[in-house]
Amino acid sequence: MVSFSSLEFLFRFLPVFLILYFVMPVKHRDMVLLIGSIIFYAVGEPVFILVLIALTLLNYFMGTRMWKLNEGFHLSDWQKKRRKRCMIEAVVLDVAILAVFKWLAVFVDNSLLPMGLSFYIFKMISYQADTLRGEIWSRPKFYQTALYFTMFPQVVSGPIMRYNEGGFDGKRIYKPEQFEEGLKLFVIGLGMKVLLADRLAILWNDLQMIGFQSISTPLAWFGAFGYSLRLYFDFWGYSLMASGLMVMLGFDFIENFDHPYASKSISEFYRRWHVTLGNWFRDYVYIPLGGSRCRKGRLILNLAIVWLLTGIWHGNGLNYVIWGAVLGLLIILEKLLYGKILKKVPVLGNIYVLAVIPLTWVIFAITDLKQLGIYFGRLFPFIGGAGIAVNQQDIIKYSRNYSVYFIAGILLCIPAVSEFYSKHINNPLIVLALTVIFWLSIYFLSSSAGNPFMYLNF
Amino acid sequence: MKLIKKCPVFVLLLSTGLLFTMIALGGKNTIYASQEYDPVTTPVLSVMFTAVNDEIYPWQLFINQNAPVMAKGPETGQGRPDETESDEQKEPQENSESTGSYDTDKTGGTDRKENRGESGKANEQGENNGKNDDIKDQGINSGESGETNEQTGENADAGMAENTAKDNGTESEPFKEPDEGEEPEGQQGNVKGSEVKEGDVGTIGADALLNASKTYKKEEAGFERLAPLRESTREEYLNHISADIYGDAGVIRAASYEFQTVDESYFDDALFIGDSRFVGLKDYTDLAEHADFCCETSLTIYKALEEKFSKAGTVPEVLENKDYRKIYMMLGINELGRGTTEDFMGQYTEVVDTLRELEPEAKIFIMGIMRVSEKKSSSDAIFNNSNINARNNAIATLADNKNIFYIDVNEVVCDEEGNLKEEYTFDQIHLLGAYNDLVKQFLSEHGVAE
Repeated sequence: MVSFSSLEFLFRFLPVFLILYFVMPVKHRDMVLLIGSIIFYAVGEPVFILVLIALTLLNYFMGTRMWKLNEGFHLSDWQKKRRKRCMIEAVVLDVAILAVFKWLAVFVDNSLLPMGLSFYIFKMISYQADTLRGEIWSRPKFYQTALYFTMFPQVVSGPIMRYNEGGFDGKRIYKPEQFEEGLKLFVIGLGMKVLLADRLAILWNDLQMIGFQSISTPLAWFGAFGYSLRLYFDFWGYSLMASGLMVMLGFDFIENFDHPYASKSISEFYRRWHVTLGNWFRDYVYIPLGGSRCRKGRLILNLAIVWLLTGIWHGNGLNYVIWGAVLGLLIILEKLLYGKILKKVPVLGNIYVLAVIPLTWVIFAITDLKQLGIYFGRLFPFIGGAGIAVNQQDIIKYSRNYSVYFIAGILLCIPAVSEFYSKHINNPLIVLALTVIFWLSIYFLSSSAGNPFMYLNF
Repeated sequence: MKLIKKCPVFVLLLSTGLLFTMIALGGKNTIYASQEYDPVTTPVLSVMFTAVNDEIYPWQLFINQNAPVMAKGPETGQGRPDETESDEQKEPQENSESTGSYDTDKTGGTDRKENRGESGKANEQGENNGKNDDIKDQGINSGESGETNEQTGENADAGMAENTAKDNGTESEPFKEPDEGEEPEGQQGNVKGSEVKEGDVGTIGADALLNASKTYKKEEAGFERLAPLRESTREEYLNHISADIYGDAGVIRAASYEFQTVDESYFDDALFIGDSRFVGLKDYTDLAEHADFCCETSLTIYKALEEKFSKAGTVPEVLENKDYRKIYMMLGINELGRGTTEDFMGQYTEVVDTLRELEPEAKIFIMGIMRVSEKKSSSDAIFNNSNINARNNAIATLADNKNIFYIDVNEVVCDEEGNLKEEYTFDQIHLLGAYNDLVKQFLSEHGVAE
């Protein structure tokens, strides 16, 4: 149920929740949302719901300590110091809890990592930092803080919104147009996830089934691009569904992806990919460390720290650390060496991004380092990697089977297509298309019972 | 009206959703009766979508349901629940028909045209079998399946019994209880025959092989088919357990044949029929340079003769276009969990008999279903090795070691516990590309001289 693209969520949880939410008078809607969110999380994590509740209480009271020190017209130095100490304590505690669970997941068992922990801990850290910085304007009530941390559209995988971006003060927009707007976003997101990402996921599964040592070099590249598209639509689709739900409930839209594949450099790519996470690292790690307004050596160190942390945050394998390190290195090189050239020469930047990013995704995708080596051997056969029982014609079969998804995916990567959509959003044909996308998604979800690999057969 | 203007997508989704729900409810007892769904987690309208995969479309609801023909022509249209009875009545008849065709078959090559006609019938029955199966699946919910189930079971059984009763010599009896003696009579006889050949293999050339096969041909007709030892129980059926109703007598008997090592040209007149496992064999070995393949992911025994393979056409068409001397078939994993061992076996027998009729000169190699890894087997209620072994035991009883041979590739891809070796697979079901060579190797060590 915790996946938005499941029949259980779409036809059981969501309708019941929406009816209750909108039937209730406006002042009680926060409560409906809070209770709904707790139920939503508890269904997915019947045990770890306690972790979420405990962390919510903890962070609320840690924040309250700061608010109490805020009293008075003018803050004296001791107050400022105490407040800062409170913030540091809270953040250290949050980070420690995240680290402990990550450690358990790596060294004991993967199932010991509570769902969405990395996301809601990051929200909690930002809550503490924003409280210290005075970016939360009025003292939140407990249920408002709890709502911010546990809200079901975001609790599993973000977007990592800030407290002051939401209508937690009760000022939300309840209009049919707003609901419709959110619904459209949700349907598009659902379509991306089910019709593109889940289909392309089968391609990657096929490659693993064949074994990387037996795929041809063209298929290896095809697979890398396919995985890049799949990851994009999986996450963009998810983010659109999450933000769409938020908009339906009366909140503002939170942008998480801004056509990253149209970027001209890696650093630009990561300003447009998973925007809320990038901004989080910028605001709470990179800038506090000194940002880019410092010596070259320090800048390199700052970037390295940010990207190593990004890598560790994303997963529990060594490959994620390598992935973060490679991106950090590329971004440092761009800053110091060739960033300007990429900007100046037209198209060069685009080619660079489109060639390099899929390779970094391959590192991201393959947790087994030996297998990772084999895959790179197939991508670049001249650096060693002859392959075993390679079928040189495999690319024909796979490009035939997957070209539809590639074409649709590539079209959606082009910013102009989105602009066209926004321009004609009220066109009856678009309305009809959205309806078709929705029911087509339901068709796939019905026949695969929610699991893309169930649809595979043998 | 205002609402439609303000939120057209919402209104459209809501109204189509209601419409679909009404269709689904309307067809609940008719066209959608065979669709399983879990009302706790799934909306009722999802049956409308799952049914599309079975080629049942919503508009069929509005076509007069009393008419036997429903939109898709006589074949796919019939056999829906309201016709269950007629199906059941038909079955025994057709069963005896198939027995008949098997008999004529044994007397030697019959007229090809006649065979074709019969194969058509067999085909049709296959269809019905499949349908019956569907109907029974639905029975899980309605609870009325008991009768249907038993009846089919009886039918299949009766057919089998008839078969064996007619032709049963003394030799098949010992195999019913293979544990009794170390070397039962019939088996012993056969081993003696093949021992001669064993000496020949490898050391002596083609002449010797020819001689050997001549001596073999001189022998009596091959083994008779074995009858099941028991029926599948209702519990087994309801829990999707493939019952081991034959025991390993067939496997043991089939294993008594001494196969020869052959070179690649042996496969020049071979046809492979199979699911994704054979797709792997085709794509990742050089067998396809010699043999032809009618393989498709998710192929089942129920579709084996109807499926249109790109370019080549259906299996009967392929067999018409070229004379094959070897037909290899590995099917059965996709239909685990569908129907009982009897249902599966009924259809499998039909397909094998049809292949025999279409290509009387060909040796048919029915291959044991390749097992899955321990990880998969221990965690899956349907796709596990106990179910696979039960069905393999059933398949093996068809081997006569004369025209029909049972071979089991599990010998070379499984560990001592009989599970697919973990290092050979990523998804616990398919061989990694590189390991398909083991299958090719296995096949070339299991040739039969002509």
